[in-house]
Amino acid sequence: MMNLVYTYQPLFDYFLLAVGFAYSQQMVLRAGVFSIGSAGFASIGAYFVAIVVKDHGMNAIVALLIATLLGCVGGFLLSIPLARLRGVFQAIATLAFVQIVVSLCLYFDELTGGPQGFNNIPKLVGTWHLLAAVLVTIYFMYVISRSAIGRAFDALRQDETVGATLGISIRKYHMIAFVLSGALAGFFGGMQSLYTFSIEPEMFGFTFLVAALTYIILGGRGTVTGPIIGALIMSVLPELARPLADNRQFFQGILMMVMIAFMPHGVFDGLVLHLRKRRAAARDKLFKEAH
Amino acid sequence: MASLVLSNVSKRFGGLLAVSDVNMEVPPGKITGLIGPNGAGKTTVVNMITGLLKLTTGSIKLGDRDISEAEAHEVAFAGVSRTFQNIRLLPEATVLENVVIGFHVHVRSSLFAQLVGLPSSVRETPKLFERGRQLLERFGMSRYADHPAGGLAYGHQRRVEMMRAVATDPKILLLDEPVAGMNDVEATELGDVFKELAASGIGLLLIEHNIRFVNQLCEQVYVLDSGAMIASGTPQEVMHNPAVVAAYLGTKK
Repeated sequence: MMNLVYTYQPLFDYFLLAVGFAYSQQMVLRAGVFSIGSAGFASIGAYFVAIVVKDHGMNAIVALLIATLLGCVGGFLLSIPLARLRGVFQAIATLAFVQIVVSLCLYFDELTGGPQGFNNIPKLVGTWHLLAAVLVTIYFMYVISRSAIGRAFDALRQDETVGATLGISIRKYHMIAFVLSGALAGFFGGMQSLYTFSIEPEMFGFTFLVAALTYIILGGRGTVTGPIIGALIMSVLPELARPLADNRQFFQGILMMVMIAFMPHGVFDGLVLHLRKRRAAARDKLFKEAH
Repeated sequence: MASLVLSNVSKRFGGLLAVSDVNMEVPPGKITGLIGPNGAGKTTVVNMITGLLKLTTGSIKLGDRDISEAEAHEVAFAGVSRTFQNIRLLPEATVLENVVIGFHVHVRSSLFAQLVGLPSSVRETPKLFERGRQLLERFGMSRYADHPAGGLAYGHQRRVEMMRAVATDPKILLLDEPVAGMNDVEATELGDVFKELAASGIGLLLIEHNIRFVNQLCEQVYVLDSGAMIASGTPQEVMHNPAVVAAYLGTKK
């Protein structure tokens, strides 16, 4: 039994980190912003925490708080030039931002260790810390989704012109989405640093942002549970596909295409929508029978 | 209550003068009509009032306040609300959620309270949903509260859009072809709703094709053709105006 726990503990830890990054990605998508900049903010947070904790002996909690703040400021600054962009243009512009961060990390090798990565980071974060961080994040995500901010995000995602004519400032709420997404990415980037001993620039590159997008596409954009489901699928799927050995990636790809084709809202959001329709239909039937 | 006043409003798209020198007043508590053939520029006028399009020249005032340069969300806060010619609901959201988003201008809890879940924000949400239910009750739509809005029948979708606009508690309500595609019975029902809204002090601007419908409801009618205001007055005056007849039916050779 204990063996089983030890075998799967790293998997669980990575799942928890994935949930954190998934929420960062969801925050922008929920507001209708197609930003994939989370990877860049995660990188900034990760390198900042690694450098100040290892080289300057800063307290880990203080370092994580500053990393979160850096993510906020980064999100705020990035939102200004991108305010007029939408959809695929936003995606490309934020991808460029991610590439800039990756290349800066490679370039300033005295500070970051360059392509060799930044190693021997003290391991100060374990499963319980990650779990606590994710639970706190879930609380915030729930609170925000039930607030006027969450409703404004939902409205802008579905039709931003309608949102604007109802008093929602597009620029302001897109900025809030960028800031919150940056904060989450910066914080969990820092957590990852203190968990993995070493980081390297490409960890927060293209693969990272595709993974973050995948959690949300699989799980769902509009609910708090969606990203958890998405991250869970992506963590468990490679394990389940293990017997397929060399064909693993192939089958994983097929499965994802099938899921996206048949559940375009994501597994969890799709389920919620489906149940909602069924309940509405059932109530209609009752109403008609009564009259 | 405040009137909405347009003075010498023009809009130019490149070389095309879409709206030229329009003067118009929408007083509170009354239904004012804006009619005109297809492509006359009616929706452009509405888009300029609501801040979706910038004016080329002229000014728009709500009471004493100049809203010519205001952005869409500022116009909403100033007290102007609208419906769209092609219905625009939030399709994934339920009917009730669609109405509740209309309360956005009434949210009192601060951003900070919303972010960290202070009681002021947590308690506000159920209150707004309760107000949403009352509004649904008033429009006879309670049984659809939890339906996804995108799946409703056309006439019901129109009502949801109307409720959402009314939820902002507007001083001025702009209705862009609200009875398009409805039969006379449905239109008359909706007309009664408009009369009630006007009686409650809201100034309504009714943009319509259906001249009979406008005649039933409006005291003052403006006629737009090719971007210019060609006539205004009571429905009777306007209907007998040769320019209006020509615009709608063409001229005799």
